[in-house]
Amino acid sequence: MPDQLEHLPRLTHLLPCREAQIKTLLLLLGEPEHYSYPSIFIYGHRASGKSHVTLTLLKELKMPHVVVNCVECVSLGLLFEHVLLSLFGSSHTSLPRGPSLSDFVRLYRQLCSEDPAKQTRYIVLDHAELLRDMSANLLPGFLRLQELVEDNVTVIFLSEIVWDKFRPNTGCFEPLLLHFPDYSKVELQQILAQDSCPSYSPELYSSYISILLGVFYSVCRDLRELRHLAALNFPKFCEPLEKGEAKESDAHKLWRNIEPHLKKAMQTVYLREVSSVQWEEQQQKEEKEVGELRGLSAYTHVELPYYSKFLLIAAYLASYNPARTDRRFFLKNHGRIKKTNFLKKHEKTSNHLLGPKPFPLDRLLAIFYSVVDSRVAPTASIFSQISSLVTLQLLTQVGHDDQLDSPKYKCAVSLGFVRAIARTVSFDIVRYLYDFL
Amino acid sequence: TPRHATPGIPSRSLPARKPGNVLEEARARLHVSSVPDSLPCREQEFQDIYSFVESKIVGGNGGCMYISGVPGTGKTATVHEVIRCLQHASEQDELPSFRFIEINGMKMTDPHQAYVQILQKLTNQKATADHAAALLEKRFSNPAPQKETTVLLVDELDLLWTKKQNVMYNLFDWPTRRYARLVVLAIANTMDLPERIMINRVASRLGLTRMSFQPYSFKQLQQIITSRLNQVKAFEEDAVQLVSRKVAALSGDARRCLDICRRATEICEHSSSRQPGSGLVGMAHVMEALDEMFSSSYISAIRCASTQEQLFLRAVIAEFRRLGLEEATFQQVFVQHRALCRMEGLQPISVSEGLAVCQRLGTSRILLLEPSRLDLLLRVRLNVSQDDVLYALKED
Repeated sequence: MPDQLEHLPRLTHLLPCREAQIKTLLLLLGEPEHYSYPSIFIYGHRASGKSHVTLTLLKELKMPHVVVNCVECVSLGLLFEHVLLSLFGSSHTSLPRGPSLSDFVRLYRQLCSEDPAKQTRYIVLDHAELLRDMSANLLPGFLRLQELVEDNVTVIFLSEIVWDKFRPNTGCFEPLLLHFPDYSKVELQQILAQDSCPSYSPELYSSYISILLGVFYSVCRDLRELRHLAALNFPKFCEPLEKGEAKESDAHKLWRNIEPHLKKAMQTVYLREVSSVQWEEQQQKEEKEVGELRGLSAYTHVELPYYSKFLLIAAYLASYNPARTDRRFFLKNHGRIKKTNFLKKHEKTSNHLLGPKPFPLDRLLAIFYSVVDSRVAPTASIFSQISSLVTLQLLTQVGHDDQLDSPKYKCAVSLGFVRAIARTVSFDIVRYLYDFL
Repeated sequence: TPRHATPGIPSRSLPARKPGNVLEEARARLHVSSVPDSLPCREQEFQDIYSFVESKIVGGNGGCMYISGVPGTGKTATVHEVIRCLQHASEQDELPSFRFIEINGMKMTDPHQAYVQILQKLTNQKATADHAAALLEKRFSNPAPQKETTVLLVDELDLLWTKKQNVMYNLFDWPTRRYARLVVLAIANTMDLPERIMINRVASRLGLTRMSFQPYSFKQLQQIITSRLNQVKAFEEDAVQLVSRKVAALSGDARRCLDICRRATEICEHSSSRQPGSGLVGMAHVMEALDEMFSSSYISAIRCASTQEQLFLRAVIAEFRRLGLEEATFQQVFVQHRALCRMEGLQPISVSEGLAVCQRLGTSRILLLEPSRLDLLLRVRLNVSQDDVLYALKED
C-alpha cells in the first residue's frame, strides 16, 4: 500500500460515499515533494462534493494551497493577487495595474525563487467555466502553469461543465479529467442520515429521510437542497411524538402525518414561493392551514389606469391573433365566417404555443379603439401610457431601429394575467381570441 | 516597482568562423544580409533614382518619389546603393553635401512616431509626437541660410496610414515648401497605393514621379546568383537555372531564390557527408530544396494523422457530399463518423472523443471550427480543398 493511501480510512470517514474519487485524487497528488500532474480538471453536477472533497483533502493533508472562486474575480488582477498572497504569505506583491498573465508568471517566479517549494503547491479554481470569458490566454496559461513558472505547482479546476466545452480553438495542454458522479438514492440516504437530531434515535431520523427521499427524489437530487428541506420539515415530523399521539415505532402513522405536508412543501417552499422563515412560522401556528399563505407568484395583480388596461388587452389580442382575423373580431358588420375557412395549414398549432408575435403601433390603436366602448381622443396621455407599459415590461419594443415612426411591440404578459385585467373592466377576452373559438 | 530591462542577446566572444570549404563560402555569399557592391539587373532603376536625387541636390529644391514593387525586387537595396554613391560623390566635392535619414513604418508602434524619429535623426532632439511635428513644420517652412538638402527614405509607407492621413500629408507637403530642401523617397509594395488609400490632396502632393520595380525574370535571377557566387564553383549550371525558373514563375523574389540556393547547399553538404560525391550542388539537391519550400504541409499533416482523425476527415467529406454544402455541424459529421467506424470494423467512439478529434484537427487548421462551447452545434469547414484531402487519404 503506497504511503499516500494511509490517510484513506480517515478521509473516507470524513467524506462518505466518495471513496473511489478520494483514492484517485490521493494517488494523483502523490507524495508532497513529488511533482504532480500540471492540471487536473474535476467535473460533476452541482452538490456532488467536488469542492468539498478537494478542499478537505488539501486541508487534512496540510498541503500549501489556495482556493480561488472565479465568480469573485471580476478582473485578472484580483485573481493573480489572491493567488500570490495566499501562496507566498503577506510579502509585498507588486503587480502592475491591469496585470497580464506574463506579469503574474514573472512575479510568481520571483517570489518562488525566494521561497522554493518543498511540497507541491495547489491552486484550486472553483467555477472554472468563467475563466473562458476572462482573457483568451488565461486558461491555456493556467493549464501549463507548472511549465511556465518552473515550480512544483498543480492547478485544479472545478466545474459543472464538461471539458469539451472549454478547449480553446488554438489548442492547449490537456488536463487530467476526473468525474464526480451523482450520489445514488442509497448514498443520499446515508449522507443525510448522518446529521440526526440528538433528542431522537438515529433510526427515526433515517426513516424520516427515507420518507423525504420518497417524495422529493424524483424532482431533486441536489444534496444541499434536500438537506435544507430535511432540516425544515423535521419539527413537523416530530409533532405527533411530542404530543404523544404516536410512538417512534408507528411508522405508518408518522408517514400519514408528514406526507401531505411534504407534498405541499414541494409546491411552496421548494420553489421559494414561501420563504423558509415563513414556512417555519406557519408550522408553529397550528390553526393556520399550510399553503394558505400566498406565495410570491400570487402577487401578480397589478393596479393599472383604466385605459392602460385596455391598451394591454389590445396588445394581447394583437400579439396572439393573426392580423387576417381582425376584420372579423373587431368590425361591426362582418359576415359570419367559420373558423375552418380561416384556417391555414401552418396555423393549426395554437398561437399560444408559439409565443407572442410583434405588431405595429397602428394595429394596437385600431384594436384599442374597437374594444373601448366610449370615444377616446388620441391624446399624449394614451401614447405615454403605451411607453410606460414598455417601461413596466408588460410590453416589449421589437427592433430598436425606429423609435418614433411605426414602432413595433410585443405583449409580454401571460393569459392568466390579462384575463384578470379583463375581468376588472368586465371584458370577455376569451371571446376575442382566435385560439379559443 | 522593479524595472525589468528588455533582454538582450549575449555578445559574441569568439570571432565568427571563416568559411571552410566551397559550400560554406557559397552559403556566406548567398546570404541575404551580404548585400553585394554591385546590383545586377537594376542598372536602369539605379540611374533613374540617382539622377532624380542628384538633380534635386544640385538644384537645391525638394521633391518626392514613389517607388513600388513586390517584395524581394531590390527596392531598398537599390536606394541604399544610390545614397552610397551620392555620399561618395559629395565626399569627392562633386556634389554639395546632404543629409540622409531613413525611417521604416514597420519599426514604429504608431504612425505619429515618424515625427519623433525624423526629428531625433535630424537634430538629436527628443520630443513628443505633437511637439516634434510642430518643430519639423517650423524647420521646413522657415528660411535658414546654408541649409543642406535632406534626403528622407520612408520604407513601408503603407504602415504610416492614419485615419486623417496627416502623417502622410506632412511627409509629402514639406518637400513642396520653398525653403524645405527635402527629398522624400517613399517605398511601398503596391503600385496603386496612392490611388487606393490616399485622399486626393495627399496623392497630388506625392506627385507623378513614380517608379515601379518589376519582378525579376529567370535570366535576371540567374545572373544575380552567378554574380554573387562570382568565382566560387559550387553550383551546376542547370541547378541554378532550375531555381531561377521556378522562382521567377511564382514570384520573382530574389530573397526566396537565395534562400532556396542556400538550403540546397545544406542538402548537398548533408548528402555528400554520407556518400562523397562531386561536391557540387546538383539538380537533385535543388529539387529537394524546392519541394521543401513550396509544397504544402497540409497533405503530409493529413497523412500523418491518426486513424480516427483520418476517418473524421472522410466523414466530413461524406457529409459535404450528402448536403451539397461546404459546411456541416459537428452533429451531422459525427453521425457519418459513427457509420464509417462501423464499416471499418472499428469501435465507435464517444461524442467527447469525437469532439477531441475534431478540435485537434481544428488546432492544426486543417478544419476551421467555431468556438468549442457550442459543442454539438459547432460548424465544421475544411481549410484545404476536398481534392487535397482525398489525395492525402488515398495513398495507403
